[in-house]
Amino acid sequence: MGISERHIAAFAVLTIFGAAPAFAYLDPATGSIIIQAVIGAVAGGLLYAKLFMHKVRSFFGRKTGDVASDNTEN
Amino acid sequence: MINPDPGSFRDPSGRVFIQDDRVLRAIYEMGRDNFEAVQKAGVLDALIAKGLMVEAEAAEPGLADTLEPKPAHLLSHPLIPFISYPYEWTFSQLKAAAILHLELHLEALRSNFTLCDATAYNVQFRGTEPVFIDHLSVVPYEEGEIWAGHRQFCMQFLNPLLLWAKRGVVPNSWYRGSVEGIAPEDLAAVLGWRDKLSFTVLAHVVTQAKAHKHALKTETKEKIVKAHKLPKRSLVAMLEGLKSYISGLELPGGRSVWSDYAGDNSYNAEKRAEKHDFVAAMAGSVQPDMMFDIGCNSGDFTQTALEAGAKSVVAFDFDYGALERCYSRFSQSKLSVLPLWLDAANPSPAQGWANSERASLGDRGKIDAMVALAVIHHIAIGRNVPLDMAVDWLIGLAPQGVIEFPNKDDVMVRKLLASRKDIFPDYTEEAFLQHVGARAEIVEQKKLGEDGRLIVQYRRS
Repeated sequence: MGISERHIAAFAVLTIFGAAPAFAYLDPATGSIIIQAVIGAVAGGLLYAKLFMHKVRSFFGRKTGDVASDNTEN
Repeated sequence: MINPDPGSFRDPSGRVFIQDDRVLRAIYEMGRDNFEAVQKAGVLDALIAKGLMVEAEAAEPGLADTLEPKPAHLLSHPLIPFISYPYEWTFSQLKAAAILHLELHLEALRSNFTLCDATAYNVQFRGTEPVFIDHLSVVPYEEGEIWAGHRQFCMQFLNPLLLWAKRGVVPNSWYRGSVEGIAPEDLAAVLGWRDKLSFTVLAHVVTQAKAHKHALKTETKEKIVKAHKLPKRSLVAMLEGLKSYISGLELPGGRSVWSDYAGDNSYNAEKRAEKHDFVAAMAGSVQPDMMFDIGCNSGDFTQTALEAGAKSVVAFDFDYGALERCYSRFSQSKLSVLPLWLDAANPSPAQGWANSERASLGDRGKIDAMVALAVIHHIAIGRNVPLDMAVDWLIGLAPQGVIEFPNKDDVMVRKLLASRKDIFPDYTEEAFLQHVGARAEIVEQKKLGEDGRLIVQYRRS
């Protein structure tokens, strides 16, 4: 998926420590571009896991709700 | 010669023109290849057939020659009855628009096309139904390309919805001020830690904000940005995840806040019936294609006007709860009603680039009639607007209409005056009738019940 350990480390570092405000000029979407590969991969994993769980539940004949909902955490 | 719409300049591959009762879309050389690829694949037709995108057909041959510069293609679209902006929508409208945008993107990806941006201004409402209006946003997808509109989607859809749902703060004033929405950096600063315990918020808001700030501090080489790849299945998963997350967002308090409305007002049934008859008589005689209902509440009189002959109504209110009820009501009945938020003392201005990209409320097309019931005292007494100026503004909205005037004996007016000094000696029925008469013909006037409110129908000459 094109995600190196460096990406994951960057994600973790950014999430945990944050960065001080800075106001230099920059293409406004750079932050979005940098994180998309990681978000996409995690989102893909979550979707896969939910589809898998859905299949497992269907196999055992249990009723399930929305397959792709990640609102259970809220 | 027709002039391009002042809000359509951002994409150099095309411009939009309003001609009578239709919209023309010129596609220039720069957009030719993409558009022809989209046409060839039949993507637009598929999106239109699914009701996601506004209808389009090739304009009559020869018309393109009259335009300068001459476009490579010229499309014709039906006119959206009333243009509105995301900072005028309710929570449910913004949510519906966000879901439409994601569904359209996912649908396009199935045919290997994508969207080149994610602006909420590309979604408009026909009645309560959102529809996508920018056909040139659909472009061929290249495997591995990043989602170009990601930050824009977050700023214009996700973040305002999160602020509303998680903090109970209406984002519209902020949205109207910034025009481009709410930045992840700003939203991250106001969300609580509990709000952040979700993958969607953590990834799209918190991490994006951090990455953005980090990128501002360090020198980001072009090649590093270009090196980022996003496989299609990851993009699809991201869009699906956002769609399901946004579908589950609710206002604090949930649906019950809007569903238990029981007609709380100071009117008895008989007076309300008289008022309904009065509004119905006006709507029946004018048969307006487009009507404003100023202070619509949950839409009772909008409903009456529609039944009497109004074709389409834009229903305004200052109260988001009332608008939610109104939106829910007409979503179910599928009537052509667009609920929008309005502060009558501060209507949406002309703004954006050159102060003309987003039109002011008064500059969005022809309004044939209006009703303003239980509104004028909020403007004249609630907001200290002199009565003649309040009448002037209301009558200026439409050439014909109905205005209700509650005098100082009215319980609602007494409430407004209870906590303040009465500095409104000119707020009288006589003065009201004189102000209306100076600006229009009074077609009919009536007192609702013996000691009730005065209601007038006017017609401007």
